[in-house]
Amino acid sequence: MQSRCIPLVIAVWATLFSQICLAQRENDDDKKTGRFADKNRSSIQQEGLNTNPPVRFAIVGATVHRTPTSEPKIEMLLIDGSKIMAIGESLVLPPGTQTVDATGKHLYPGLIDAYTGLTYDLPKDKGTAYWNEKITPQLNVADELDLNALNPEKYRKSGFTAALVAPSKGIVQGQSCIVLLGNYQNQHSILKSNIAQHVRLTVDRGRGSGYPNSPMGAYALARQAMYDTRWYEEAWRVAAANSNVERPERNAALASLASAINRQQMVMIDTSNELFAIRASRFAREFGLKLTILGSGNEYRRLDDVVALGRPIVLPVDFPKAPDVSSPEMANDVSLENLMHWDHAPENPARLADSGVSFVFTTKGLKDKQDFLEQVRKAVKRGLSPEKAFAAMTIDTARLYGVDDLIGSLEKNKIANIMVTDGDLFGEKTKVVETWVDGVRHESEQEPLREVAGTWKLIATGFSNHSLLIEKNKNALSASIVSQSELEKADQTSDQEIQNDKRSDKKSSRKPGVTVKPIGLTGTRLTGAFRSDDFGHPGISLFSMILSTDQTANGQLNLPDGTTVPFSAQRIAETPVEKATEDKAVVDGITKSGESESPADRIGPVAAKNSNISASFPVNFPLGAFGRTELPSQPKSVLVKNVFIWTSGEPGNIENGAVLFGDGLIKSIHRANEKLPSADVVIDGTGAHLTPGIIDCHSHMATDSGVNESGQAITAEVRIGDMIDCDDITIYRQLAGGVTTANVLHGSANPIGGQNQVIKLRWGQNEAGMKFEHAPHGIKFALGENVKQSNWSDPSNRYPQTRMGVEQIMDDAFRAAIDYRKQWLEWNQNHEGLPPRKNLELDAITEIIEGTRWIHCHSYRQDEILALMRTLESHDITIGSFQHILEGYKVADAMATHGAMASAFADWWAYKYEVKDAIPYAGALMHRAGVVVSFNSDDAELGRHLNHEAVKAVRYGGVSEIEALKFVTLNPARQLRIDDRVGSIEVGKHADVVLWSGSPLSNLSIVQQTWIDGRKYFDRTEDSKTRTEVHQQRLTLIQKILESGEEMERPDVSRIDPAKLWPRHDEFCGHHHSEEDHWGEQEDAHE
Amino acid sequence: MKTILHTTLAIAIGILALPLSADEVPGAPQSKPIVLTGGTIHTVSGPTIPRGEILFDKGKIIAIGTSVEKPEGTETISVEGQHVYPGMFESHSSMGLTEISAVRATNDFEESGTINPNVKALVSVYPDNVIIPVTRANGVLFALTAPAGGLISGKSAVLQLDGWTYEDMALQPETALHINWPSQTISPRRRIRMTEEEISKAEKEQAEQLYKIRELFDQSRAYRDARSAKDSRQKYDARLEAMIDVVDGKLPMIIRADRAEDIQSAVSFGAEQQLKIIILGGYDAERCADLLKKHEVPVIISAVYRLPQRRDESYDAAYTLPQRLHNSGVKYCISGTDRSETWNARILPYHAATAVGFGLPADEAIKSITLYPAQILGVDDRIGSLDVGKDASLIITDGDPLETTTTTLAAYIQGKQVDLSNRHLSLYKKYEQKYEQLKQAK
Repeated sequence: MQSRCIPLVIAVWATLFSQICLAQRENDDDKKTGRFADKNRSSIQQEGLNTNPPVRFAIVGATVHRTPTSEPKIEMLLIDGSKIMAIGESLVLPPGTQTVDATGKHLYPGLIDAYTGLTYDLPKDKGTAYWNEKITPQLNVADELDLNALNPEKYRKSGFTAALVAPSKGIVQGQSCIVLLGNYQNQHSILKSNIAQHVRLTVDRGRGSGYPNSPMGAYALARQAMYDTRWYEEAWRVAAANSNVERPERNAALASLASAINRQQMVMIDTSNELFAIRASRFAREFGLKLTILGSGNEYRRLDDVVALGRPIVLPVDFPKAPDVSSPEMANDVSLENLMHWDHAPENPARLADSGVSFVFTTKGLKDKQDFLEQVRKAVKRGLSPEKAFAAMTIDTARLYGVDDLIGSLEKNKIANIMVTDGDLFGEKTKVVETWVDGVRHESEQEPLREVAGTWKLIATGFSNHSLLIEKNKNALSASIVSQSELEKADQTSDQEIQNDKRSDKKSSRKPGVTVKPIGLTGTRLTGAFRSDDFGHPGISLFSMILSTDQTANGQLNLPDGTTVPFSAQRIAETPVEKATEDKAVVDGITKSGESESPADRIGPVAAKNSNISASFPVNFPLGAFGRTELPSQPKSVLVKNVFIWTSGEPGNIENGAVLFGDGLIKSIHRANEKLPSADVVIDGTGAHLTPGIIDCHSHMATDSGVNESGQAITAEVRIGDMIDCDDITIYRQLAGGVTTANVLHGSANPIGGQNQVIKLRWGQNEAGMKFEHAPHGIKFALGENVKQSNWSDPSNRYPQTRMGVEQIMDDAFRAAIDYRKQWLEWNQNHEGLPPRKNLELDAITEIIEGTRWIHCHSYRQDEILALMRTLESHDITIGSFQHILEGYKVADAMATHGAMASAFADWWAYKYEVKDAIPYAGALMHRAGVVVSFNSDDAELGRHLNHEAVKAVRYGGVSEIEALKFVTLNPARQLRIDDRVGSIEVGKHADVVLWSGSPLSNLSIVQQTWIDGRKYFDRTEDSKTRTEVHQQRLTLIQKILESGEEMERPDVSRIDPAKLWPRHDEFCGHHHSEEDHWGEQEDAHE
Repeated sequence: MKTILHTTLAIAIGILALPLSADEVPGAPQSKPIVLTGGTIHTVSGPTIPRGEILFDKGKIIAIGTSVEKPEGTETISVEGQHVYPGMFESHSSMGLTEISAVRATNDFEESGTINPNVKALVSVYPDNVIIPVTRANGVLFALTAPAGGLISGKSAVLQLDGWTYEDMALQPETALHINWPSQTISPRRRIRMTEEEISKAEKEQAEQLYKIRELFDQSRAYRDARSAKDSRQKYDARLEAMIDVVDGKLPMIIRADRAEDIQSAVSFGAEQQLKIIILGGYDAERCADLLKKHEVPVIISAVYRLPQRRDESYDAAYTLPQRLHNSGVKYCISGTDRSETWNARILPYHAATAVGFGLPADEAIKSITLYPAQILGVDDRIGSLDVGKDASLIITDGDPLETTTTTLAAYIQGKQVDLSNRHLSLYKKYEQKYEQLKQAK
């Protein structure tokens, strides 16, 4: 009942022709009147005279490719109405069959575009929609389709005869259908509806408003919608069975989503990169969805992870254009990541195929659908088998969507969807010459009546020994008049010039002779104009010539003085330069110069073919500079000896000591002169210092979640952990500053923000590999100016606007969670009434009350600090940590009594009103009052030298050096409740250690090595080697681009991964530094 | 000897005992010669003198040596075991022009419009600004304070961070004209939110800004000539009037530029127009080293605590910039402005220290925050090093200023003793009282 499942719409066959060639000339009147509609299959009434053209065709003489695996043969293909009636070498044609001669052509099944996204708007405030307008599963493209908006002709020109058309707006977007790409009314176009439910686990950056406005918010809302669907089904089941319970709401959205939840319907999740593919699969697992991934083309970057997902992928082929390296400055700005992406991306399909991942192709991302086949050919050139490529745009696509009984191959009884080409599909110059959709012929373009490109020898007074050279680039003609001697000279230098031309990308510089402009071909008449000064006729001359079928032409020339001169011409070569016919590559170079094309065919002998066939460097993790090709090893045992040890634990500082670690853990600690154990790896730390790994209790790195979900004041349901960006270069840069663990927090936009994620900086690992196993759950709270939105340029009226309101909204949330918890407890006991609705927001707040989720609260002023502690105490909650806590020094006694810990800035102040009393002595004052104090960064740069922050506790307030270092080691570990595993060098703890060049509390010391789990993730010596490698790799790829002659484009102009655009800092915090502004990376403070 | 030091500290504590509203009191003019004895004198310009003596009178340094002649009535202060350095110099800030950046009413550094050569930072420097005493308490005694924003932001001044009025504080009232060099790039972050038309419009506007600057310089010369010819047709124009010293090459321009393209464009503009220019930012300056040296253009490094600006650059790219400029022979100094902004200008020496960790010689690091900024900003006749004839503007520390653990024990500006108390120290003392009271109540 809930699933508003539209029954399979078997397409209504329509045919419409008077003459075969007229198919594409039908006009709007025809459509309106339904003049051509086949009465057998259509309810559309005809007006005027009945039109009943013959409906049987035989395409003869063509090479037929029935399926990707079948042997191509010259066969006849017989069409009856909309269907293929027969295929065979010799068929008996029924009377009245019209024959189409396709000698020399090839017939393929019509291509299927596996995804085309269109945006549709549902009327607001009508019907029973979901409360949030970004959840519209009930939207059905079959109900909204306007075929004209799709512009089917564009698709057909590239050989497409069908496409999956999907809604692409919002988060849960609605349902797609398969559309036949003819020119009919909508009624005749929809082959099958309700194919998939479409989902996107993110939102556009900076576009639109309201909840959610962050990727993690989108993920949370999608989860909630799925849980709501389950609840809706269950609630109605209960209500139907029990007359005494209350009636639940009616909701068309949740009703439509039921078939996705119940695995009846495919769910396709749009992913902008490989990390989102992994997230999509995780999301699908939570709800047992039948997932198809709408891919990104980046899958090769985490191939093993993608293979492990075991999900089919709808794969784009919008391989990037070459990054612009045409000036030293531009070359310097291009990242190795972009260079490598250009180099690797065309191999993405081949690598997926080789790894057994099933995929089909989409035109998604291509600006021009007509680039599609060229891109697929590029993939084939880069290792994809032609059979797989063929299948991924025909039969495999049909099979994925369950329409392989109707389309996808050339077989008897299938729909006559045919692509006709003038050569083998994967031939470099093969063009789609026509398509047949549903039995109707559509010619791609009229063949010109005469071929004009080539060299025409002129026979005319005053022009003897001259030739007219005509080039055809796509459909544009260009021409020049050249003397015989120039022609010969051009022959000798053509290779050279072509090479130069590719680099300079200036077509005109190469052409000798006199340019003819304008030039035009009308039917069989070629006309043109040129400056005839060189021929003794000052001024512009005009000519007109009639082309015969025998490669000759006769015409007349109108000289500037009005004299008319007759002339004739003979086409002596099919290319403008005669020599070119001997060298195919050169022909391509001339006729297609400037077009993006595979390098291998164009460079010829200049670059070795093989070097262009495959990517130059292996994929590293993450892709680009400083990525790893493999995980750092974990030696069985490592001994660091002769080193000054700051244990931050019981043993205190040990001069000239030694530490043994192995299997990821600290094994033993030795004082001077003790007998040392042997070890596989021995590091002599003479002169160096060893400390526990630095722990940053407040970070926003390594997440593309958006950091803030500011669409609501309470967003406990959102999780940073859903969106860990393991590719953030900040991870590596902070490793170089000794950081091994970081608390990645939601920002401070809301009184109750999202859930945090504690990570280890295991650079090179994937999302899951970043997470700190066993770290207790936490959540961000915030107080003061940010949540009141008091520093917004436009006044806001969101609740709360005062610290009074902040106190109330928090208390209210706890009370709501208490009620919710009670409701569930009661339901679980007696199952009376309607089942409670699972509420992700209240689930998280319930966990706080139950003591399994720790609050980390952004705070400044003493009043708000005190008020929060009192609220929490009234619910028997102990806070996990206060963050920033700049006035904590004023209420340190109350904090100590509560058991509150302080994760503070060392010396930040004066950037907003509520920090006017912040002082660098705060850490020392709180420490002395018995509060566990840490210094955090909240900043990608500051996080790189937290040791410089720690020493400020010594300078301001006289904390001892040992205790001061704990501000960035043991104390943050305590605040995160992970001090049983990390935070000090003690036996049994994780082998997370940092080797420094000198005292960690000296500003002059630097990090030499950073170890996590007994693996060396940073080594300054190795880093300097990597720099050289990065430099070399950049040079190699820049040369490769320059030599390829490919069209270049600024990477930010074409397709930028939207996930990269989200900030990695708290935009709402008001203290982030402005340096990016100077670099041209200015961001809006508030969306 | 120690007792004398204690008198110094006692003065500080004595001031602290005053009610908070009294704030910090500017030092009185030097009334008698003072000699500091027994400390290590870091002249910066010349050799360091262990156990040396420095004598100053009427605000000027009179003598430096291992033993100097002391005139009648000289006050001797022992700084045994301590160090004497010239006061540190933050070479770019909004000192005195802002108090709490998020509170608009406290900001006086950005005038409306894009062309503001006539506005002068000095006239809105507020001597009672709470950030000033916090800054000098860590030995940073000088700051260039500059207007910001727009294309031409206005004129900066070099301040000495003590005085009753901005006039007292002005070491050099008009130091440079500040220009934000129009960048030719639009970042991906901005691009993604723009339509194709918006992008091309923005690119056009950016290109036009260069013409705008050039046009302004042409106009300014014509204006100057018309005015000096007493042409009555040429009426007064505040903006063009303010440009005259600049186009005459008398007043330097500080040009904000980080990218190589922008630095190159700024330097060639300066050369073509025969102007004195200084680059602020200078992230890519090493790549333009030859050009900078050829035209003798110095660089104010806008921060050492700075992220690599390109994904592929070494993690320490910004940390090594001072060392790389030093090696390539480009004149430079270190500011903290991009990182510490104004409110944390006190951490200036730690920027320099970080550069030392990554290869800059330590004595260079000290120069880069004392002598070099004084030279680049044209005040090295007064400050920047401890030399006879220069101002007696110096700090006394208990160690290397590059280390955070080092405390500035005392400071003099033009021989006047500087009050090193400040809001942070006051609040610290206040809340120490709270916990003392709680302890006693137990």
